[in-house]
Amino acid sequence: MSQAADSGLIHTFFNADIVRQTSPMVMEAVGQTIAIGVLVIVAGILLGTALATWRFHTQSRVLRALIVGYVDVLRAMPPLVILILVYFALPYVNISIGSVLATFLCLSVILSAFIEECVWSGIMTLPKGQMEAARSTGMSWWQSMRHVILPQALRLSLPQITNRCIAAIKNTALGSVIGFAEILGSAQAASSDYANPTPLTLCAILYIGLIYPLVLASRYLEHRAGIR
Amino acid sequence: MQKKIILEAVDIRKDYGDLRVLNGVDIRVREGELVSIIGPSGSGKSSLLRCCNLLERPTAGQIIFDGEDITRDTVNINRVRQNMGMVFQQFNLYPHLNVLANVSLALRCVGKLGKAEANAVAMEALTQVDMAHKRDAFPGQLSGGQQQRVGIARAVALNPKIILFDEPTSALDPELVSSVLAVMKSLRERGMTMLVVTHEMGFARDLSDRVIFMDGGVVAANDTPDVIFSSQGNERMRSFLSRFLNER
Repeated sequence: MSQAADSGLIHTFFNADIVRQTSPMVMEAVGQTIAIGVLVIVAGILLGTALATWRFHTQSRVLRALIVGYVDVLRAMPPLVILILVYFALPYVNISIGSVLATFLCLSVILSAFIEECVWSGIMTLPKGQMEAARSTGMSWWQSMRHVILPQALRLSLPQITNRCIAAIKNTALGSVIGFAEILGSAQAASSDYANPTPLTLCAILYIGLIYPLVLASRYLEHRAGIR
Repeated sequence: MQKKIILEAVDIRKDYGDLRVLNGVDIRVREGELVSIIGPSGSGKSSLLRCCNLLERPTAGQIIFDGEDITRDTVNINRVRQNMGMVFQQFNLYPHLNVLANVSLALRCVGKLGKAEANAVAMEALTQVDMAHKRDAFPGQLSGGQQQRVGIARAVALNPKIILFDEPTSALDPELVSSVLAVMKSLRERGMTMLVVTHEMGFARDLSDRVIFMDGGVVAANDTPDVIFSSQGNERMRSFLSRFLNER
């Protein structure tokens, strides 16, 4: 009787004993994943916004083409490929970086490409008169960007930016391929150690717990922007 | 003794590719004057105005503002523009900022005023345009006329030596036009120098010191409103004004 229940769904995917034994290991990974996720989001948004601003500012066609090329290539390549290339190919040119740093760098750069495109489309949506009005009051180009153009562009593209940040957090799981002990990697290790997939269930719940606050935060920001 | 010339455009030409929109325009605005620029669409009125504060770079010619040739490359245009306000046809208020912040932003960025000081100056300007009670509203919550009055306050707050108006009432519903014109009239009474591109012929006739009639990228007439509106001008001007004159 209990034998039959043990081999059932609960035992396999929702095993309380396994959770008890493996959660310290998985929870340790949560801290790492949150840290890297936050760093990736901050770096990606800053770099992406800077690139969009640069693309808007420059008069040089070459520079503009380079930025567009950077964005298009990074958006087209599978993140896993970029990660593997960076981690396994760089040592051949005598640059060796750890798996955590490699994950952070790759995901930041990929996120920056997507954010650039979001912010750029936001900037393009704004009427030309916004920049002209700011400049007509004597504000410099940079002051106008900072106080008038970028706040509006970021607000307009907030839903897409949120989506890309969610994707970036989930992509930290790719780090497991190069040995970064993030949530999925440690859950997988735990589930093979214990020959039970329960840690993966735990992993799924943890991801929801990680990402849902982000969704709520962006909804709150959108709502606040919408009032205006 | 005539007042000193505050703004002078000398032989301004402006090309967009092969299209020449301004073909050697000379104008002068003296301190305290209200000069209106009228003329058919496409005659170069707005282009001329936008050349005055270099939102458009003239292809050739000079803009002399307060005795300084501002078309020279070495001139810091941001410094010049602090003394040269502009009011736009589409208002161009910042939709993400409330009324007070719309007016005080440049004071803080450019005038380097502290928050309290900038707000005080902004409130003074908003009071002048009768919009002080809407200080916390966002542009999207205001009527077109109210938005344009805030737009005027934004220019006034910097205490400029001249304000350029680019068809300030053209985007407004007819019943909202008068409130904006009333604000412009009160500015004039306070001695503000104004250069106004307008289709409001009544305004141009009643309040201008001089009226400039532009046609085909040149100044076709430049005289007192009495002369301009008495149909003594050339054929082109008479036909442009005839509709207005007949309506009276």
